Amino acid sequence: MELAWYALLGLFFAGYLVLGGYDYGVGLLLARDTDPARRRAALNAVGPFFLGNEVWLVAAVGILFGAFPLLEGELLAGFYPAVLGALTGVVLVTAGVQLRSRPAGQRARVWWDRVVVVGSVLAALGWGAVLAGLLQGVPLHADGHVAGVSHLFTPFVAAAGLALVALVALHGATFLTLRLPAADAGPVGRLAARLVPVALTAVGAATVLGLLSADVRTAAQQPLVGVLLLSLLVTALLVARAALARRRPGVAFAATCAALALPVALAGATLWPYALVSTVDPGASLTVADAAASTPTLRLLGWVTLPLLPALLGFQAMCWWVFRGRTDGRAPVYW
Amino acid sequence: MDTLLLARLQFATTTSIHFLFVVVTLGLVTLLVYLQTAWLITNKPVYERMTRFWGQLYVINYVLGIATGIVMEFQFGLNWSGLSRYVGNVFGAPLAIETLVAFFLESTFLGMWIFGWHRLRRGVHLALLWGVAITAYASAFWIMVANSWLQNPVGYEVRDGVAHLTDFSALLDNPTFRVALGHVVTAALLVGGMLMAAVSAWHLVRRTDDFTLHRKGLRIGLITSAVAIFFVQGFGFAQFFAISDVQPTKFGDDPAAAPLIAEWTARFGPGDYTPPALADVGLGFMILIGFTLGLLWLLLPLLWRDWIIRLRVPLWILQFALPLPFVAAILGWIAREVGRQPWAAYGLLPVDQAVSPVSPWLMLSSLIGFSLLLGALAVTNWVLLAQHAARGAHDPALGRQPDQPPADPHPEPAFA
Repeated sequence: MELAWYALLGLFFAGYLVLGGYDYGVGLLLARDTDPARRRAALNAVGPFFLGNEVWLVAAVGILFGAFPLLEGELLAGFYPAVLGALTGVVLVTAGVQLRSRPAGQRARVWWDRVVVVGSVLAALGWGAVLAGLLQGVPLHADGHVAGVSHLFTPFVAAAGLALVALVALHGATFLTLRLPAADAGPVGRLAARLVPVALTAVGAATVLGLLSADVRTAAQQPLVGVLLLSLLVTALLVARAALARRRPGVAFAATCAALALPVALAGATLWPYALVSTVDPGASLTVADAAASTPTLRLLGWVTLPLLPALLGFQAMCWWVFRGRTDGRAPVYW
Repeated sequence: MDTLLLARLQFATTTSIHFLFVVVTLGLVTLLVYLQTAWLITNKPVYERMTRFWGQLYVINYVLGIATGIVMEFQFGLNWSGLSRYVGNVFGAPLAIETLVAFFLESTFLGMWIFGWHRLRRGVHLALLWGVAITAYASAFWIMVANSWLQNPVGYEVRDGVAHLTDFSALLDNPTFRVALGHVVTAALLVGGMLMAAVSAWHLVRRTDDFTLHRKGLRIGLITSAVAIFFVQGFGFAQFFAISDVQPTKFGDDPAAAPLIAEWTARFGPGDYTPPALADVGLGFMILIGFTLGLLWLLLPLLWRDWIIRLRVPLWILQFALPLPFVAAILGWIAREVGRQPWAAYGLLPVDQAVSPVSPWLMLSSLIGFSLLLGALAVTNWVLLAQHAARGAHDPALGRQPDQPPADPHPEPAFA
């Protein structure tokens, strides 16, 4: 039962990185384009999905708290600076996107757009750092607490943060290629194609630094699975490149979605059966089973939430279906 | 510097800002459901315009509810990892249920509602708003289940120092839960009603155009808040019975407090088991405000022949009274939460065991950072709300006709 909940936690966090990822990617790309109309068009391409995207994060943390309380406390407190950065980013983006068009003046909008750009970078950096921090293990002591936060300040964590920024930028550009009116999709598609090598370089750099780090090598419990998932990630990026070149934005977007979901699977599967691997005391490592809530709690959560899961996903799917297709002058504009 | 004090200050700041916005969210969405349902049934344009005007204010207000809510959710793990370690098996469940079955759907529905104008059929569009409202109430329900458990832990047993769930129905039967939920929900209706009445009064005093629309807003708002304050007072006073039964140390001298403190001293060692006086003082002021707002009933007869508008003084009173329910809401929460001290979970987990073992400097930077960030966002949000309220119902961005009329209601899918 723990495995099912761990998979569900992974599903929701990966779903957040995929869906929130293009929010942040589009937010990041606002920095490139100063034309107010095109900025607004980009944000309204995200439009109806925006509110439904970031709730995947809230749901993931809800599952983390309800089903893995022990992991929740140590994970968030143990990665304090990274979570702080990511959380600040999430708050800035959610406020910036929703409020930027409420003031009538163009100057205020420019300021809000800067808020969105900064927030998008922070969110991607922060979540990248959290995933990397998991992969390199934490100073978890026998008393069950993670000591200090200096373990986060390593080249691998920094490189993984930057790699997620690059992935998110590519994902956002691909989303816009798929969603903007056909006339505007060309330039942004070429941008997306140029971002693929950037993302590949960033992922490559993080991989090299990870392989050089003794902590990462020791922490990996299933190195083969890790390598396999990493090669899938590289394949997804190459597929995206090929699809963008052949003007198949749908395929390219599916590929970048996979590229955003795979890091979560990578962190979860490589460390299995552990949730947190200790770098100081192998006996203190926290297994997924130990991190999980006790059986009555998991059973209760199962009874209450699992029957509703189809409804949750169904209403999200309804949103994607209702607002499918490219945006055009007939679409409501609000952000 | 004391990590515990900093963590408590951060929780107090975030929660207070959060509640100032969610109380409006919960109140306004109820009135919006009324307005949009009335539009669908009567087809009167005034209801459509009111839905757009008040919907716009609702959506602006909603932003800060989410932003502060996300920070609060993370704060449990960041600052209070002991809470998840020792009581997470029980306390985590209602929070997890809230995020999955309530908030997740609420935001999904709201996104579709905002962008669904002129695109969805009117019945479907209204159903989405009903969905938003129902899930908002479900949110309040589960959050209050979780909070009430901290006030009065039930339905668990402690094995190896960790609480395990034994009886979930006890959480729903918690004496600190139902009456408190009624109190919070009717307080939200009071705030929503008073906001609608005060903004309408502002327009009526300045004789802006749209007399009919703002007159209707004034009437709906005043009647809602007058009915709500009656229940707010009732649920408020009814709570004293439950509190005196299960939380005797909460408000001053209860004869049951002394034996309980003696028991705690035996179990947890000597310490100060009485909450700070702040809880009591806040409670006194809140009750005073509650009685003052009870006078809203005196304004109801003036609705006859619009005397309330002709006399003008009542319109000014409604505007000046608007801060009162917000102040009362914060004081009420201070009474409930500070009155729980020194416990994270009453009689089970002291706050000093619940706080995360992080360095005080990290906690201080998080406190300062998030207080400044959320404070600045809150002020900006209120300025925007005031500007949009003052602009009136001419042409809110919410529900505006797209540039081109929809020629083809089923556009080509992009995946083709």
